[in-house]
Amino acid sequence: MIEIDRKQDELLAIRCQLGEPAAFDALIARWHEPLWNYLRRLTGDDDAAAEAVQDVWLRILRGIPRLREGSRLRAWIFGIARRVAMDRLRAKYSQPPLVSAAELDLAGTEEPDDLAEDIALMHEELRRLPVPEREVLVLFYLEELTMTEIAEVVGIPSGTVKSRLFRARKALRDQLVLKGVKR
Amino acid sequence: MNDSNLPAVSVAEVQRLISGELSLRARLGYVTLLLFALAMTAVVASLWLTEPRLPARTQIAFAVMVGIGLSWTTYATWVLTRRRVLLAGHQVIAARMAVAFTTIFVLGSLALGLWSAVGRPAYAAAAFAGVMLVVAVAMLVSSRRRFDDLMHRRRALERELSHQA
Repeated sequence: MIEIDRKQDELLAIRCQLGEPAAFDALIARWHEPLWNYLRRLTGDDDAAAEAVQDVWLRILRGIPRLREGSRLRAWIFGIARRVAMDRLRAKYSQPPLVSAAELDLAGTEEPDDLAEDIALMHEELRRLPVPEREVLVLFYLEELTMTEIAEVVGIPSGTVKSRLFRARKALRDQLVLKGVKR
Repeated sequence: MNDSNLPAVSVAEVQRLISGELSLRARLGYVTLLLFALAMTAVVASLWLTEPRLPARTQIAFAVMVGIGLSWTTYATWVLTRRRVLLAGHQVIAARMAVAFTTIFVLGSLALGLWSAVGRPAYAAAAFAGVMLVVAVAMLVSSRRRFDDLMHRRRALERELSHQA
């Protein structure tokens, strides 16, 4: 199945490199939502994610002629998204924070009482994780990239991805347990 | 963040953005600008280099015009490599345009040299145009090869995927 996915990715990349407009439509239809979810979780802000996702698509269009191996399309796309998100996060953290301590405290006192609330809480806690841990969790569990692809996106060895994923899972579990989630 | 998982920017909006960016007309406009800027620079440089005993102010005027031509050349090259990038199909069209344009430029310059009183500047322009023609032919060969390689790989993948389906 992974082999077929890779071949489909490569075919789509080649059709884009040839300049076929329908291929770009198909590429956007396939990857826009995963990119949006990734950027939204990484930036933690819908407005920033909306700006970032358009920037990512323009960079994809401008960079696709230089993509040598079409089978690496998904890692290449998420690599671009990561660079855009990191640039925005760097800019954001160089400015004073806009969220007050009171608001953060209020958000932290919610008590989940059903599955939907647990999921909402998990997303909230995911957002509180440091960016390096958050992004490996998102790429592995939500975007279903392999360890090798994550290593390529993040620019670290596969072994480091594995240990970071372990650390991230543990941190998220600890945070959820602190909030009273037992599942 | 709002609770909806739907992207704030829809697929259709991004498709519209990208299809605007993909405009072939805009790309070919920049290819034409590049070719005209190069031709203008070559003509002015030919006059400047071959006319003996030019007054200083004429030399300054030629230098400014060459500078303007080179600026437009740089700008069009930047747009075509960084903003409105040429995809494989566009590269073949652009290279064909360049070959046609530079061939006319070479022949026109030679005709001026042979059948008018322009003389040496026309031959110098023909020499510049000849170099441009060689570069244009090399670009056509390389872009055609790249296009054929991609088409070959595309057909192979389509065959493999239809067997696996």
